[in-house]
Parts: sequence; structure tokens; C-alpha cells
Amino acid sequence: MVRMRGVAVLAAAALALSACGSGGDSGTPSPAGTEPRVLKLWHYETADSAMGKAWAEAIKKFEASHPNVTVKFEEKGFEQIQKTASMVLNSDEAPDIMEYNKGNATAGLLSKQGLLTDLSEEAAKRGWDKLLPGGLQTTAKYDDRGVMGSGKWFGVPNYGEFVMVYYNKELFDKHKVAVPATFEEFTAALDTFVKAGVTPISNAGAEYPAQQIFYQLALTKAQKPWLEAFQSYKGKVDFHGPEFTYGADTFADWVKKGYLAKNSSGLKAEDMGVAFMNGKFPVMISGSWWYGRFASEIKDFEWGHFLFPGATMSPGSSGNIWVVPEKSENKDLAYDFIDITMSKEIQNLLGNSGGVPVAADPAAITDAKSKELIETFNKLTTADGLAFYPDWPAPGYYDVLVAGVQELINGSKTSAQVLDDLAKPYEDNLADLGN
Amino acid sequence: MSVRTSGRRGYWLYLIPSLLLFLAVIVVPFLMNVGASFTRWSGVGTPRWIGLDNYTRLLADERFWESFQHNVGLIVAMAVVPTMIGLVLAAALFDYIGKRFGARTASALRAMYYLPQVLPVAVAGVVWGWMLHPSYGAVNQIFGLDLDWLGDPDLALATVMGVMVWFQLGYPVVIFMAGLQRVDPSYYEAAEIDGASWWAKFWHITIPQIRPEIFVVLLTCTIAALKVFGPIFVLTRGGPGNATMVPSYFSYLNFFQKSNVGYGSAIATVLALIIVVVTFLFLRVQERES
Repeated sequence: MVRMRGVAVLAAAALALSACGSGGDSGTPSPAGTEPRVLKLWHYETADSAMGKAWAEAIKKFEASHPNVTVKFEEKGFEQIQKTASMVLNSDEAPDIMEYNKGNATAGLLSKQGLLTDLSEEAAKRGWDKLLPGGLQTTAKYDDRGVMGSGKWFGVPNYGEFVMVYYNKELFDKHKVAVPATFEEFTAALDTFVKAGVTPISNAGAEYPAQQIFYQLALTKAQKPWLEAFQSYKGKVDFHGPEFTYGADTFADWVKKGYLAKNSSGLKAEDMGVAFMNGKFPVMISGSWWYGRFASEIKDFEWGHFLFPGATMSPGSSGNIWVVPEKSENKDLAYDFIDITMSKEIQNLLGNSGGVPVAADPAAITDAKSKELIETFNKLTTADGLAFYPDWPAPGYYDVLVAGVQELINGSKTSAQVLDDLAKPYEDNLADLGN
Repeated sequence: MSVRTSGRRGYWLYLIPSLLLFLAVIVVPFLMNVGASFTRWSGVGTPRWIGLDNYTRLLADERFWESFQHNVGLIVAMAVVPTMIGLVLAAALFDYIGKRFGARTASALRAMYYLPQVLPVAVAGVVWGWMLHPSYGAVNQIFGLDLDWLGDPDLALATVMGVMVWFQLGYPVVIFMAGLQRVDPSYYEAAEIDGASWWAKFWHITIPQIRPEIFVVLLTCTIAALKVFGPIFVLTRGGPGNATMVPSYFSYLNFFQKSNVGYGSAIATVLALIIVVVTFLFLRVQERES
């Protein structure tokens, strides 16, 4: 509320000052200047996603409160920003504010390279630190080595995401399967489908889905210290220890048992999602980023979701983060924009569009499906159950994991060999930390 | 003598723009790449000189050598097979279809074979991805198969090779048909009078007469195969596992995924040198032949 009032005061000041024609080029930059300015903004959310809708509204709100500023928005692709960020941000073409992927190998790497602005002061001044629960702040802060969880604020997340089990209620009813509460019940349910000739889990090995299932299985045996060792390097990770061994063995076993299709190694995430939406699979284990799309596109059957049974942690984190490049020429405007994305109005819109807001007014979330999703997310964060993603610890680890799980699906390598392949680049990165 | 020298100097002036362009677009970036290959560098900040470390690492990197083995397969698919099929097709279109059904029919067929070359590789890759989809792909449906074309490590490289044969075929057909236009028809007439079969004419007249075109096609296709990137990126991203990894994609992974610019540059440098050597050898053989 205080923040809202602040934005209103700034907007009023902008209007007043523009009316009397005073310049805003000295002292702290503010929206109050009369000189026309441009805020260059890049993000990669599709227009019909919850975030896409929310950010479009935030741009409108920003332009209304900053009459002398034009927002020059450029829609980029995730991969496009992912692959070229360090080079673009090191050039004169850098935007003023950009959405970026969070984690050590991405935002951490850019912060270490000195390409991102330290937002610590703004986070404290504008109260962002109060709005984000502890677990969500992990991906905002990076130390001098680019390792997340402590140090300075280099990004601001304003939504959350997590991996869950989506299920097709009609197929569950047809095969008389109840929503499982334990891991044993879950595998019993999967067995029921296999016996009926149905491959239960929609999967995709060529992109992130399969590696997240492998990681989720490892998490069923993991405790917090293991997670901190793996993700934040606070200890040694034994890739042949019980967690990863269980993950790899069980994943390979699930392929053998027919829970995961043998021909899923070359499939992409879109294949997985479309197959589930077409009602071909009763189960899909993936992230909340599908939620809004499912809500609007699945018309032929009822669907629901639950947290992976038998695990206290799930892959998940804050959503992507807003970063302000060090070379941004309009940092003050970028901070104002972030502030608007944190406002109740935008957060509520995000929540009602199938996203997971971090600072919404619970009473304002009126959409039943969205409410369910937010409740599950709150349950997970209350239990401190966000376990981040398996590809975060080392640059280029995503492709290493893709190759590893593809080999598990195809049976072309044993679990132990795959774990050796996963260990090497991780250890190489550890040896290189801080360099 | 002096007149001839000053005349030559005059001609050199015309070469200056292309020389400058060559320096700016080829030589300087190549030298910068070679320079980066001797460093440890994330692409930003100050590179750290590490001498030959990247090259020693490269020599011991199984993934790199494995990726070159895949390149051999792709040379077969992109240069050898299309050249062989292209020769037969071009000769058949020129000698048989053209004469029997008219030049228009031959041209239409030639254009059809060339169509894949006109398509953007991303479009062709996505369409092939659909056709080869293990569950609903047209290929499995038509032939009643249940194969995971791009997801099975034993099949993936062969599948990519098959797609590349389709993709490349039109190029040799067009070049060879153009080459056949300049072959003196009297050779064929003489051979016909002597009662030579189609195959004998193809073997003894067509191939020797268009040998320069064959060299050009083999050379350009081999270079294209060595630096192939787009089809691998769209179809398999080097997978499953590393079953279709090629050096250019491996270099790209190091450059952009791992921010390991020094190592990526070393891979790119070695690849460029191999391409230069192959080109040089080809040209030498061609010179000797001619």
C-alpha cells in the first residue's frame, strides 16, 4: 500500500514537473524529467501466458505514470537471450531492463562478469526484500563467485514456479485410479495404467522434462544439506551417493517398466505437453509454466494436479528475474518498472491468469483453478521445498543432463556410467569457481 | 617492361576493395579466433593466456573425436551419395527425360529436386521432425513401423544422413545438368553410331566431360558437411546422448552454453584448418587431373 502510494506520488510529481517544464537531468534521476526518454525492455514471455499478460499491463501502467517515457519493448526468445546475453550486455546494445534466467550458470555468471547492476540498495529502499519470502530471495542474490543464495541483489523475481504432477481426471476415473498420496500409491497407479496398455507418463528426453523427472526422483531421497551442497556448493556431492543413484536407477527402471515411453528420448517439451493436452497420457510431470495454457486449451477433459508424492522437495524456484544491465542508461526507470511489476494490481492479474504471484492479495485471486495452484505453491514454499533445477550448478549442464537422461531412456549406458558423465563437468566447474 | 609493370600496378588498384573486405571479414576474425584459442576466456573481461592447453585438452577429448567420426558419415551423406545419385539423375534427365518428354518436363523435375535447397534449413528440419516423430510421424505411419528415428542412438545418425541426402540432392543435379549443356553432342552421336549403350555413354563420355563440375560439387559439399550445424541444431541437438554431435555444434555449445570461449575457439580453429587442408588437397588433385 505504501509502495502504491509512492508510485502515485511519483506519477503526480512527474505530471506537475512536466507541466512547469523543469528538467530532470540533475541529482537522482526520476520520472519527473520533461525530456522524452525511452526505456528499452526485453522479455521472452509469450503474450498469452500469465506473465505476458501481466507485463503488458505493467508497461501500460508504467507509461501512464511516466508520461515523458516511452517503453520500447522487444520480445525475445528464451534461447536467444540465454545464448547471447553476456555478449549483448557487454555491448552498447544492452537494454535498460531485461528478463533473464536465474541460477549460477546464468544470472550468477553475468553478475560475476560485472554485467549486472547491484540492486541491493533499491531492494531495501523499495521493500522488495520484504515481499519475497526467504526461499525466493535465493535466486535474487549472488556472491562474488556468482553463486546464488547470498551476496548482493542482482535480480528481482516476481513470480514463482514449481514442478508438479498433472493428471487427467477422466483417465484416472476410467481406470479406477485414485489420486495417490504416497510414492507407493503413485507407482501402483502407474502399474495399473501399464497393465491396461497405457503408457502413463508423457515425457520428453530431448529437452528439460526428462531431466526434471530424474532430479525429482533423486529428491525423494534427498535432504536439505545435500541440496545445498549440490546447488550452492556448500559441501561435497557424491554422484554415486544414494540420491543420484536412486534417481538414475529408478528412472531407468521406470523406462523398463513402461511408465516412461522408450521412444521418448528424441521428443521435445512441446511434444510432451501437446500429447497430454490431447488426452493421450494420464500423467505429466512438469512445471507450473504449463498451467495457464492447460487452463485455456484443455477442453475435452477435466484435469488436476498434485505435488510429487513421497518427496518434501520439488524442482522449482522463483520465476525468471528482472535484471538491470550495468550499461543501462535508464536505471532509475528500470527500478520504477520493477516496482510496478511488484504492485498488487499486476500481481493479482498474474495470479488470475494462471501464474504464481509472489505478492498478490489472496482475496483478489478469484479464479478457482489459479487459487488451487497458488495454494499448492504456498504449501511447497512453507515447507521450504523449492529445490531449484538440476541444470543450474554448472554452465552448459543442461546439455549434459539431456545427453545423460537420453542414455538412460535408450539404455545405451548404465546408471553408473551416466552418473560419471554428470559428475565430470560438475567437478570441472567446481574447480573453476571464482576464476 | 616498365609499361607492363605500371599497367599491372593499375590493375592492383581494383583488387584493393576485395582485399580489404577479405582482411576485415576473413583474416582478422580468424586471427582473433586463433588468439582466443590460446586463452581461458568467458567472452567477457580479460582473457587469461594459457598457451596450448586448449589444444592439449582437445586432443584428449573423446567427444571431439567422436564428433569428427560423425562428420565422416555426413560427408558420405552430403557429398558422396548426392554426387553419385546426382550424376545418374542429371544424365537421365538430360539424355532420356529431356529428349523423350521435352525440356520442360526435365526442367520441372530439376526444380523439384532443387526445392529442398531453397527451403530454410529450420523449416525443413521442423517438417522432418514431424514426419519422423515416433508416435504420429508420417514415416512410421506409412510404412507401418514403430521406429524412434531421431531418438534411438543406433538410428539417429543414419536418419540425419538420410535427411541430408534429400536436402543436398538438388544441388549436384543442377550443376551437372548445366555441365552437360556444354558437352559436344557429336561425342554422343558418334557413340550412338558405334552402338554404345546408355551406360557406356554415361561412363565414357558424361563423367569424363563434366569432371570439373564433379570436383566443384564434391569440394563444396564436403566443406558444407564438415561445418554442418543447422540441420543438427534443428533435428537432434547432437543427441540422443552424443550420437549426432558434430564439431561445429560442439564448438557452439562451448561458446554459448558453457561460456568457454577459449575452448570453443580452439575447436573452431582446428575445424577451419581441416577445411583448408581438405580444400587444398582437392584443388591439387583437380589441377593434376586437368
